Amino acid sequence: MKKLFRTAAVAAAAALALAGCGSGTASDPSNVSPTGEVKPREISWLLSRPADGAVINIMKKLADDYAKDHPGFSLNLITTPDRPSYIQKLETLAAANKLPELFDTDATPFAQQLAKQGKMVDAEKLLKSLDVYDDYRPSALDYQRFDDGSLNMIPFQFELEFIWYNKALLQKAGVSVPKSLDDIPAMCTALRDAGITPIAIDGQDQWPLERYVAYQPFREGGPDFIQKLKKGEAKFSDPAGEKTVQWLASLGKAKCFQDGFSSQGYSDAQNQFTSGQAAMYNIGTWELPSLATDKLNSATRNDIDFFTLPTTAGSVTAANEFVSPSGIGMAVNSKTYDPLVSDFLKFALTKYPSEYAATGALSPTTNVETAIPANATPLYKKALEHANDLGNKQAMPWDTQLDPTTNGRLQQELVLLVQGNITPEQFTSTMDNAIAQNAPKFFK
Amino acid sequence: MLPNRSRLSVLVFLLPPLLLYGVAVLFPIMQSLFLSFFSWNGISDMEFVGLTNYVRMLTADDVFWRSFFNALGYLAICLVLQLGGALLVASLLTSMRRGRELIKTLYLLPAVISTVAIAFLFVRIYSIEPVGLLNQLLHWIGLGALERPWLSDINSVLTAVSAPEGWRFTGLYMLIIYAALLSVPQELEEAARLDGASRWQLFTKIRFPHIMPVWITTTIMATTYGLRGFDIPYLMTNGGPGQSSELLTTYMYKTAFTAQTSATQAPSPCSSSSSAWSP
Repeated sequence: MKKLFRTAAVAAAAALALAGCGSGTASDPSNVSPTGEVKPREISWLLSRPADGAVINIMKKLADDYAKDHPGFSLNLITTPDRPSYIQKLETLAAANKLPELFDTDATPFAQQLAKQGKMVDAEKLLKSLDVYDDYRPSALDYQRFDDGSLNMIPFQFELEFIWYNKALLQKAGVSVPKSLDDIPAMCTALRDAGITPIAIDGQDQWPLERYVAYQPFREGGPDFIQKLKKGEAKFSDPAGEKTVQWLASLGKAKCFQDGFSSQGYSDAQNQFTSGQAAMYNIGTWELPSLATDKLNSATRNDIDFFTLPTTAGSVTAANEFVSPSGIGMAVNSKTYDPLVSDFLKFALTKYPSEYAATGALSPTTNVETAIPANATPLYKKALEHANDLGNKQAMPWDTQLDPTTNGRLQQELVLLVQGNITPEQFTSTMDNAIAQNAPKFFK
Repeated sequence: MLPNRSRLSVLVFLLPPLLLYGVAVLFPIMQSLFLSFFSWNGISDMEFVGLTNYVRMLTADDVFWRSFFNALGYLAICLVLQLGGALLVASLLTSMRRGRELIKTLYLLPAVISTVAIAFLFVRIYSIEPVGLLNQLLHWIGLGALERPWLSDINSVLTAVSAPEGWRFTGLYMLIIYAALLSVPQELEEAARLDGASRWQLFTKIRFPHIMPVWITTTIMATTYGLRGFDIPYLMTNGGPGQSSELLTTYMYKTAFTAQTSATQAPSPCSSSSSAWSP
């Protein structure tokens, strides 16, 4: 017994010692032009992007080019495309103070804490020092900013989210493109009556349904509502909050989403839409290669079109303001930032946009033109053109805004609300409680 | 009492595994226990909060209790399917004359399929839009009224996520129980039969008592595996819809790794064991 106690005491002492590894010293995050010699070495980028996607392929190529002039340099790309697993990895490494030179993160409350501790280089200063800041689309940078306006992440993409629809199915049900968000429930009823699934949604990944909760408040109260809500300064019981809760309940009541959507995945939902079983599908321009080229099912190819997020009566945001994310951003670790990292970033960031635009994707910068693939349908160009006509405000996805615990709870409760398992009142009280309990710790 | 020399050799042989155990198992447990008295998200300042995390978990956390009872339900369903199913199949096997090996192999097969494949397979089976195997079968046999999205219905989801786990290991326990049943002395059964015992009596008075020790071991094994069930529910529903299929294990995982707010089951970020139960 005595021995056990001794072991416990040793373990506790060691735990204390190890716990100390969470705090580390960081160099000055605003010093973006380190002086000294460029000494090539291997640097790592911890990222959460598709393993064979354009960003990774281009950065690999650019790193190889850079290594030709700088023997000994290499870029080690460590990708974890599955976002929850990635976040776990990132947070564990951050806690152990072992973040690599470059790492991906959204502008989450957790990332903001890292930034406040000076662990990320000031990206605004960095981009300005590289003389590329003005090339970036303001909304691509704004998406990466924290609430206080500070910028610590660099975007590599720019996407626009649309509601894609099947003209033939809408016609069959005798409905037209909704003019207001409030028209959608009635539209769903008509589609259901015609035997058509109104909206295909990937319920398994949870973020697609979470987009819907953001729409009404964005129209009703603008981008400020979520900023206040996440800190507990606004509530779901406020008018904008109540409107979204009621609207989601009515979407559920009208059976807008496919039966059993909560266990259906990304490709299930997309297949339902592209095979002509579902009438609408909410997704971003990253799916242009499958929705606006000849890869699309020839049976539905000519029936597909899209509309942007509808407004509402009394909407405070305009029709050209909707969800336009620039994807997960790349942060630069201030502790390991040196002349080499700076020199490589200068090389890569100036060459990246043209390479990226050549793949048919929207660059986060405006200095290049996206190449439209040879097999594209007219929709491809139409979708890209929307990028040049965006308003100043953008709807932020709530999963990047809320604290992780509240976000997890919201994703769960949303499914129950839409399925009709809980009442709007129950939803409101559960979520307001969750925010009251969890927000103060994160946003103090 | 061992002579001194062999006592030393026992120590020499025991010490390395004990040290390994201490570093890999005991230390992370102690560290987690220690961290559970703090409010800490990994990068914030550690704040000592005493028993607050525990008080909140036991009194104010509705999800904790929900997942606790779900875990019990999950365990019960798994045990019934695994042990009950195994006993039934094993008993039937002993009375079969031909094709035993084939049946055994078929039943054991799911145990060697990867968990991820099983989870995806059952998501398809339970699906309603497009219609999956289960709903199609119900429709064909005239039970169309029972068709439902099994994984989205809060009343059926717990059973639906437990069944694959139960199905998966039935074959394994069937093998163990079958082996035990084979060891029942033939002469005992023969004597009982001569005395006019029915098949049921034969089973309850002779066979089952004889395989009791094996049965207990199997129950312990199945319970242990059932309690740590994580991957299939996590992959199929991620605890949803709502908290309807949230188990203690999946909730623990979420609290520790994705929520990062309370240190109730805080990970030990500096030791490699923190990813011990990632899927």
